[in-house]
Amino acid sequence: MLMKLSYLLLAGLTNGSVYGLIGLSLSIIYGSSRVINFAQGEFVMLGAMSAVLFMVTLALPWPVAMLAMLAVVVIAALALDYGVYRPLIRRKAAPLTIMIGTLAGAIIVYGLAFLIWGPDQRYVPPVLSLEPIRIGFLITNPQQISLIVIFVVFLLATWYILYRTRFGLSVRATGVNPRVALLMGIRSERIVQFSFIFSAFISGVAGMMVGPLLGGHVGMGLLLTVKGFMAAILGGLGSPFAAAAGGLAIGMMEALMAGFGTSLYAEPAIFVLILLVLIVRPYGLLGDYEAERR
Amino acid sequence: MLRLETIVAGYNKSIALDGVSIDIPAGTIVSVVGANGAGKSTIVNTISRLVSTYSGTIRFDGRDITGSKPAEVVELGIVQVPEGRQLFAPLTVEENLRLGFHRLAGKPDSAQKYRERLDYVLDLFPIMKQRIGQRAGTMSGGEQQMVAVSRALMAEPKLLMLDEPSLGLAPMIVDQIFDILAKLRKDGLTILLVEQHADEALALADYGYVMAVGKVRAEGPGNDLRDTPALHQSYLGKVVA
Repeated sequence: MLMKLSYLLLAGLTNGSVYGLIGLSLSIIYGSSRVINFAQGEFVMLGAMSAVLFMVTLALPWPVAMLAMLAVVVIAALALDYGVYRPLIRRKAAPLTIMIGTLAGAIIVYGLAFLIWGPDQRYVPPVLSLEPIRIGFLITNPQQISLIVIFVVFLLATWYILYRTRFGLSVRATGVNPRVALLMGIRSERIVQFSFIFSAFISGVAGMMVGPLLGGHVGMGLLLTVKGFMAAILGGLGSPFAAAAGGLAIGMMEALMAGFGTSLYAEPAIFVLILLVLIVRPYGLLGDYEAERR
Repeated sequence: MLRLETIVAGYNKSIALDGVSIDIPAGTIVSVVGANGAGKSTIVNTISRLVSTYSGTIRFDGRDITGSKPAEVVELGIVQVPEGRQLFAPLTVEENLRLGFHRLAGKPDSAQKYRERLDYVLDLFPIMKQRIGQRAGTMSGGEQQMVAVSRALMAEPKLLMLDEPSLGLAPMIVDQIFDILAKLRKDGLTILLVEQHADEALALADYGYVMAVGKVRAEGPGNDLRDTPALHQSYLGKVVA
């Protein structure tokens, strides 16, 4: 019983780290621009599929492949910034309009990826070993552990940047009111650009790490966006840490429900739970009022 | 210090300023008064380069800044206290002040400079000392205006522009803010004050402009303007021939 529970918790922690990373990246973009980026999951997909391209097809060593993968997601982030965000924000589009624009961006990225990799499930090579190792009575593998470690590292890095640096203060100010941020001499568009790149970076790494565990295919992005979005809503969109915690919570719930009930009901049950939480706390479990503009 | 030379400006192809010329000499307070919709705020936002100009030139210390970006204008030392205060409400007072300091941050001795500026504004508004860790949005309107002025002063501006600082404030608080402006002038600061409350604003000013429907209708030393027909007509909405 205890054994089963600890396995489920480990599985939940792994999936939760992925959702948490996506929730974290979503809320970083939301924090500076008040836009939900529906293309976030596509960055994860690009991370996983780039690993296929660079490590299997081109057989590059993994550090080189990693850099190439990061180049791919950064290019995708810049394309989204220059192709969707800037043209719309300069025409004074509302955040909702820009969100629909990011959905269009997601569909385009998916289409391009489909042309390159096709519809099939692809083998994503692990960066670290998938050989089981034993920690206490738990059996896990280095890839799984490194995913959890990366989650924690990115969480701490984001916290440090946002709350301990001058740059982070500019990011938060831009999220509250980009026009007044401009009056402080802050170049708001650059701040938003940074948030796109940084969050694409996080999602790309998440994709590369989770690909070997979940498998990779070009259609994986949308579902991950939805999961990340659920994580961010459950925790609270205003704060990256709340969004990350929401991701962990969803991963745990999924694992526990699949383990003790049936995976068939896991998904709807989670939606019901999220709904209940939002009825009681519309800002999310840990959300606060920084989410409010002005 | 700053000159607007026959500026035509507006939003979305409409014209809000129609050939406006204004001169702000160094070390003075210049007030622009007029009724709601006269184009006063547009002047401030044109100087901050948030409003596009169709013709005319903006000169700062002789240099043409018409083509500058908003952040570049701030870098030059032209800083605005926007209408309605516009603090970063969820952030603390201290964070708001830090954001005001953005212009000077990142330079070699900026930590010491920050302390200096902070001491300067806390000296002007001692009440902020108890409020420093509080979220700006939770303060009263008067306190928020003090933070808004302080936030602008953190940048050590050369030209301070205030857009309707009296908006929604009790008369006593307005007097307090205007006293501070007089003190800032004594410290050598140049100030552009845009106000609907014409009498107080002109009494304080060295020089004033009366605006109506996008044009300057009268100008002169502040006190002389307080009784001109143009002023009354500006507020009663009659067009001066």
